[in-house]
Amino acid sequence: MTTRSTRRRAVAGFLMPFLLLYAAFFILPIGYAVYQSLLKTERSGPLGLGGSHRVFAGLSNYTTALTDPGFVDSILRVLGFALVQVPLMIALATALALLLDSASAWGVPLFRGAYFLPYGVPGVIASILWGFLYVPGVSPIVDILGKTGIRADFLGSGTVLWSVANIVTWEFAGYNMLVVVAQLKAIDTDLYEAARIDGANAWQVVRHVKLPLIRPAIVLTTVFTIIGSLQLFAEPLVLRPISTAISTSYTPNLAAYTQAFVNNNYGLAAAQAVILAFVACVFSFGFLRLTGQKGDKR
Amino acid sequence: MRRWRLGRRGRTALLGGLALLLALGGCGSGDDTTDAGTQRSPGQKVQLVFWSWVPGVDKAVALWNSENPDVQVKLEKIPAGSSGGYAKMHAALQAGKGAPDLAQVEYQNIPEFLLEDGLVDLTKYGVADSQGKFADWQWRQVAYGNGVYAVPQASGPMGFFYRSDLFQKWGIAVPKTWTEYKAAAATIRQKDPKVYIGTFPPGNSAWFTSLAWQAGAKWFSVDGDTWVVNIDSPETLKVAEYWDSLVGDKLVATEPDFANAWYKHLQNGQIAGWVSAQWGDSILSGNAPDTAGKWRVAPMPQWDGAPFASANWGGSSTAVLKGAKYPTEATKFAVWLNSDPKSIDLLIQGGYGWPAAKDALQGSALDKPYPFFGGQKINDVFAEADAAIDQDWAWIPTTPAAYQHLNDGFQRAIAGQGTFVDAVKAAQAATVADLKAKGLKVRAD
Repeated sequence: MTTRSTRRRAVAGFLMPFLLLYAAFFILPIGYAVYQSLLKTERSGPLGLGGSHRVFAGLSNYTTALTDPGFVDSILRVLGFALVQVPLMIALATALALLLDSASAWGVPLFRGAYFLPYGVPGVIASILWGFLYVPGVSPIVDILGKTGIRADFLGSGTVLWSVANIVTWEFAGYNMLVVVAQLKAIDTDLYEAARIDGANAWQVVRHVKLPLIRPAIVLTTVFTIIGSLQLFAEPLVLRPISTAISTSYTPNLAAYTQAFVNNNYGLAAAQAVILAFVACVFSFGFLRLTGQKGDKR
Repeated sequence: MRRWRLGRRGRTALLGGLALLLALGGCGSGDDTTDAGTQRSPGQKVQLVFWSWVPGVDKAVALWNSENPDVQVKLEKIPAGSSGGYAKMHAALQAGKGAPDLAQVEYQNIPEFLLEDGLVDLTKYGVADSQGKFADWQWRQVAYGNGVYAVPQASGPMGFFYRSDLFQKWGIAVPKTWTEYKAAAATIRQKDPKVYIGTFPPGNSAWFTSLAWQAGAKWFSVDGDTWVVNIDSPETLKVAEYWDSLVGDKLVATEPDFANAWYKHLQNGQIAGWVSAQWGDSILSGNAPDTAGKWRVAPMPQWDGAPFASANWGGSSTAVLKGAKYPTEATKFAVWLNSDPKSIDLLIQGGYGWPAAKDALQGSALDKPYPFFGGQKINDVFAEADAAIDQDWAWIPTTPAAYQHLNDGFQRAIAGQGTFVDAVKAAQAATVADLKAKGLKVRAD
């Protein structure tokens, strides 16, 4: 009896710090955002300048968000972005990691550092740097292409999303690569020896030993990339002044930011944030579910 | 098992990120209704915090501080209002603390701050005594109902900046009407396909707003307790159609203004003109120093058959924010900053615009020939423009959102989806919806 209650207390003691932080920084903000998303402002007095109070609005903020073509477009835009960005990013990160891990690789620490370096540059700075390379009249790339007769427009309505994709890839490919590298390092070298004894060549080792064993890392980086794509914010925000193609609701996060901090409509901003969180959950859990089932069958 | 754990940890981390995002959407709201202010006892030293981004204001503040040892003003430079300055103010007002005593607020943003109950009515602190010092129409930009919510600072009467050397070289007369402007634009394209007469900035609808203002549009008004929105009036549509045709014929550039590429094109002569406000002079001289002596200023092109009209672009005031501890002193400083001749001269040198103080032109730093403009006394042109501005233009509490709707529509049009006319019509509908969403009574005209 006493041992059981002691153990219970011990469990509670160990869990408490985590649970408290979890509640304060995770459950509470979500709860507060959901609560905000159910409110709207009502005003009184002539022209509405006589004061205001917050009233319950039901789901009206959600219907407003979902019937706003600008916001729906922004979600479709980031989904389209993810469709291209995710495979590209994962293929690149995995390929770089495998190259660094290959037996004939040299200068591994140098290259690993070089690939990872962009991750140390904050997203805003990265966007400013790339912005200079995109702006006609300032960018040497645009100048050189112009001299060879190619009129490059990196900031037009058809191209700017992929210019953003380029920045994001530059920033995060090295980071994702490092996650995969870590998993590769954890592979027992006995397995390589066994494969070699069985007569496997380098390509077969990659295909049948390395890839299956780094699958968890690939799944993880994929989920990172899906969510990162849906949450696109800093890059379009920074490029907005120099591109005519980025609207104030270009991505869902940008739309929520505009509603909250330009239009002072916290209720609608909260509803948009909740919707985006929901979409991100559906896609990331959906992906985990998909890969999890495949794994079980195998 | 291991795979599962990794996945789960990843998810938790990711969801943590989502929580941050959600927190962003759920920023707090607070009610701060204290408006009493504190009385300063004689000899007591106080400090007022002032948020502004106007160039040159630091010198004026320093002058005040040297003359008023008891009421020291601490200037904190913030990003320009629409680039985050207002968001900062709104956040501080919402939080109920951290807001400055005084802040830079543009005319078009005053109703938005009133709606959030963010400004102090200065009539309680003797501002009415100073009404005679300021131009009537600019006073009306800060007065709502029976209150006066800021001290007018500056405006931007508009004219046409142009490269007289290029115009002369190509034998182009300075356009007096918009019809002539279009013809001149076409001639320039023929003479040098690299050069444009100007740009239509798709992301800067404040500029377009001023052009509609000139054409006689009145977008916003008040009828009893109802806000009236009339963005898609025939006057505005005429302006939109005009620019549709110029952009359609590729007679003007469509690059953003106030951006690196545009500055470079001003400097290297690929942009040969700019319909802009008086404060544009310092933008040009600051960003295109190589073109010194080549620019001149002419009156804004006119619509055929209409009486001479100009417009205003940009207008700013000094407001006292809710929660200010010493509103009497703050009001006094705001009036001094914007009406004292020495302060005005310092602000003019910084390029803050056209003074809101009455009769500020004569004898001030504005009243002189400008070497950058080949010795032209450019402000004679702007004085004439200032007298020809429709003085009844008003704003609504959701002006920034209305600008965004126009920007979004213009950007779509540039991308080939629809026209500027469509953008104007869409902005009308969206603006009515915005005001409704704010819980206000609204009518479309």
